[in-house]
Amino acid sequence: MCALSMNSIFLLTVELLNFHSLQSDLVNHCCSFPLRQHVRSLVVLCLCCRLRMSAEENPAAEPAPVIDVQGDGRWMSQHNRFVQECKDAEPDVLFVGDSMVQLMQQYEVWRELFSPLHALNFGVGGDTTCNVLWRLQNGELDNIRPRVVVLWVGTNNHEHTADQVAGGILAIVQLLLSRLPKCKIIVLGLLPRGEFPNPLREKNAAVNNLLRTSLPQLGPVQLIDVGGGFVHSDGTISSRDMFDFLHLTASAYRTISTSLHELLLQLLEETPQERRASLV
Amino acid sequence: MDVIGASFHNRFVSDSKGKEPDVLFVGDSLVQLLHEFEVWRKLFSPLHALNFGVSGDATQHVLWRLINGELDYISPKVVVLWVGTNNHGHTPEQICGGIMAIINVIHQKLPHAHTLVLGLLPRGKNPNPLRERNASVNALVQAEVVSLSHVSFLDVDPGFIHSDGSILHQDMYDYLHLTQQAYQRVCQPLYERIKSLLDKQAP
Repeated sequence: MCALSMNSIFLLTVELLNFHSLQSDLVNHCCSFPLRQHVRSLVVLCLCCRLRMSAEENPAAEPAPVIDVQGDGRWMSQHNRFVQECKDAEPDVLFVGDSMVQLMQQYEVWRELFSPLHALNFGVGGDTTCNVLWRLQNGELDNIRPRVVVLWVGTNNHEHTADQVAGGILAIVQLLLSRLPKCKIIVLGLLPRGEFPNPLREKNAAVNNLLRTSLPQLGPVQLIDVGGGFVHSDGTISSRDMFDFLHLTASAYRTISTSLHELLLQLLEETPQERRASLV
Repeated sequence: MDVIGASFHNRFVSDSKGKEPDVLFVGDSLVQLLHEFEVWRKLFSPLHALNFGVSGDATQHVLWRLINGELDYISPKVVVLWVGTNNHGHTPEQICGGIMAIINVIHQKLPHAHTLVLGLLPRGKNPNPLRERNASVNALVQAEVVSLSHVSFLDVDPGFIHSDGSILHQDMYDYLHLTQQAYQRVCQPLYERIKSLLDKQAP
């Protein structure tokens, strides 16, 4: 079994299932109950695996830092600052992702809605799923026990397919769940982008569709799609919502933050607090 | 030019057909992001300013945009130019050359406008080659424009580098882009300079 790739296993299982449904009487007679259960579990496992895909199979799930080509080492400086913040802070909410997360902290809405929730912002402009994965594996989850993590990443994964991007996001969620067992996770859907309809909009929507059903299978994780309303009936996005047809204006952040804030309040109420002393 | 760049450019050209700005800001993300904060509404909107900043632009991109329509339908009195920090791989001399080429195009298309070139800010958390490069560009540009009556240079760095050589994330959240509080510090002297240029130009 180990010699087979996950895709092969998936295809084999689909074959098995087809055989099963067409010849159910025969199978019922021939297959023992444990075998049928095994097949069913295998299907669920394969559905998840096909998307999850290990780092060996999915480049979007391979942790990687940003190499400094420009010459001022800004990415590593930001990462180091976040690692330091983990030593000093006790956040209840952790936001992590790319510039969509980072920019949020520059607007008034952060101070009004999210700072009061004891939120930390570990967004870095330009980050892909690979970069976020690396950061979380290399110190940005140390010594903190947030009760909710908000993850928003994937729109910068230009080298990867929608399947791969979804797999990368799932890999990050799996990491979060394993490091923060009591945590609830909100994954924000990728927003449409570009002034006019274009392939990246379709790709981002495909990622969201893949995540919608596969995320909840992993645990207390949900996808929140805040992109509705940005694309007008003529297919355009307004610069009043995205000043560069990618990043949100202050007013657009305000629009998406209301429901996110309410959901956070709800989840925080449901999840008990863990004080640092109890982590020893 | 990619699809996103084309969107901006087209919007800027069509924007400029309806408006009569007295001040035009042109450059990269440091210009573009300025438009998204309160400081723009408070200080620069009242001056009838237009913002033609595009994130990621280097001198050659700004040059292309200005040659290809963004100056064709307007007559601002002051053009604020802030570009150069994204010119990766170019020498300070080349970047200065790019900035001078832009200044020349502006002067050709808008003979009565005054161009205010802003100095490149330091970047990165700690001392690094890009800080040196940007400082060299500033020195070169300053020397080039000193003899030109239609251009002036303004150093807008209020002192972002601390005594230990570091830049704080409270000023540059990613050690390149400015926070709101940093924009306030940069924009006050900029506003004063623009106002005095406008007053000089008033009939």
